[in-house]
Amino acid sequence: MSDPAAPDRPSIVPLGDTALSILLGDRVDAALAARVRALAERIRSAGLEPVREVVVGYAALTVWYDALRTDYTVIAGALQSILDQSPAASPAAGTPREHRIPVRYDGPDLTEVADRTGLAVSEVIARHSNRWYEVYLIGFVPGWAYLGDLDPALVLPRRSVPRTRVPAGSVAIAGAQTGVYPLATPGGWHLLGRTSVVLFDPSAEPPALLAPGDRVRFVPVAG
Amino acid sequence: MIEVVTAPPYLTVQDLGRPGFRAQGVPASGAMDPWALSTANVLVGNPPDAAALEWALAAGTVRWRRAGSCALAGARVEATLDGAPMRMHRTYRVREGSTLTVHRFIAGRFSYLAVDGGIDVPPVLASRATYLPGRFGGLDGRLLRSGDRLPVAPPNGPAPAPTFQVPPPLEPRYETAECRIVPGPHASLFGPSGWAQLVSAPFRIDARSDRMGYRLAGRELQHTVDTTLPSAPVCAGAIQVPAGGFPIVLMADAPTVGGYPVIAVVASVDLPLIAQRQPGDEVRLCPSTVSDVQRALRARAVAIHTLMHLAREKQAAGSG
Repeated sequence: MSDPAAPDRPSIVPLGDTALSILLGDRVDAALAARVRALAERIRSAGLEPVREVVVGYAALTVWYDALRTDYTVIAGALQSILDQSPAASPAAGTPREHRIPVRYDGPDLTEVADRTGLAVSEVIARHSNRWYEVYLIGFVPGWAYLGDLDPALVLPRRSVPRTRVPAGSVAIAGAQTGVYPLATPGGWHLLGRTSVVLFDPSAEPPALLAPGDRVRFVPVAG
Repeated sequence: MIEVVTAPPYLTVQDLGRPGFRAQGVPASGAMDPWALSTANVLVGNPPDAAALEWALAAGTVRWRRAGSCALAGARVEATLDGAPMRMHRTYRVREGSTLTVHRFIAGRFSYLAVDGGIDVPPVLASRATYLPGRFGGLDGRLLRSGDRLPVAPPNGPAPAPTFQVPPPLEPRYETAECRIVPGPHASLFGPSGWAQLVSAPFRIDARSDRMGYRLAGRELQHTVDTTLPSAPVCAGAIQVPAGGFPIVLMADAPTVGGYPVIAVVASVDLPLIAQRQPGDEVRLCPSTVSDVQRALRARAVAIHTLMHLAREKQAAGSG
């Protein structure tokens, strides 16, 4: 069995009987995430007939395939050939899409975050809104984008007691990440503010506003 | 159209789910027991993936406002149609005004009621499956309530004759608690002893089990990995091991990504065996290989196809 801790040498492992994962590393970093995305794009554009879906994580991607039409050995072999074709080439990344998301910074945790970080509220807002974030991956709930990296001064562990309901549109931070709750769900992140931008709309094409590799900037607006 | 006269605490519209949108963070969802859903559909002349009612927990009643056919599959329930006892896995005719009552669950967790034509709520992201966490699919993305009326599509052909019964070899069965698993992407992190603990003795299904995941109780797994890994895509059937060491089997509505190590993945064909188990029931995880469980997956597809063929023959015989 391959060792998921082995860095930078992609390995293919089964994920049950209808999917497989390609592991590229075990850390969160922008360069690795870009390699994962580039590989996902190469697999999608290769158009292998039994491939149904390609989904990226931070350091791995997963390929769903039709196990009634092929089996693991065959599809893993086809994907290995794609991996072998351009082993260490750095991806020619296109221009990322940019999104500016207006935020009313009036969240219930704003003052607590200021207290715990030793910053003024205005400084918390400035440090959260003064940089471009990258979308690492989509998941957790439909349309949720994991955005990084946060200003190191704002890094806090999750709330010790998660909320049972966080309203849709809440802009939040936890660890080195930030994000926007697309739906009202339970959640343990610190809520800094709200946006009226719709992150997920099942009737839209595509339904999620953000995609891995996009860049996001939060723009403070008056409440 | 059918009407929910008295809703049980859990009743939703489900089909075989909405694969294809995982990159948007949307899980495939769909029936907790696709085997039973497909069986119920075939019994009324529907394609195996038509939308039907997923019924759990307790008693309730529905009424037909159009004549047709119906069938129950999956968890064994005590049910009556216009007062007469019903069997599982059998085709029944209904009249306008017929009522079906599920009185109680005898064994299992999810029963499927299919109607000829299929439940015709508007598809969302290519499926009629109810995804409760996202509040979409099914009827307004919610549990069905007493008084709800559900549109039913016109039948796409004659249903099998009444009394058509799934032959025993093709019938969904849940007696065995043995579920096949294959090693997951992080199995090596747990070492041979972690794997041995997983498969050495049965687990119990914990009460904290729902459409997103079933917790396994009884024994903690010992392992030495960091509790979380960078989040990566996961699938239904994946067995995650969080810090506490109590495994969680991801089910139909589980999030598309997860950060806990995945020690193993349950065979697709055996996931209904877990889905149908009640809290406190035992489940035993049995090591298998990807090629074996993929063979089983193809055999299941062949079995459903065979049942469709028999249903069509029965329909011809019934009308001839």
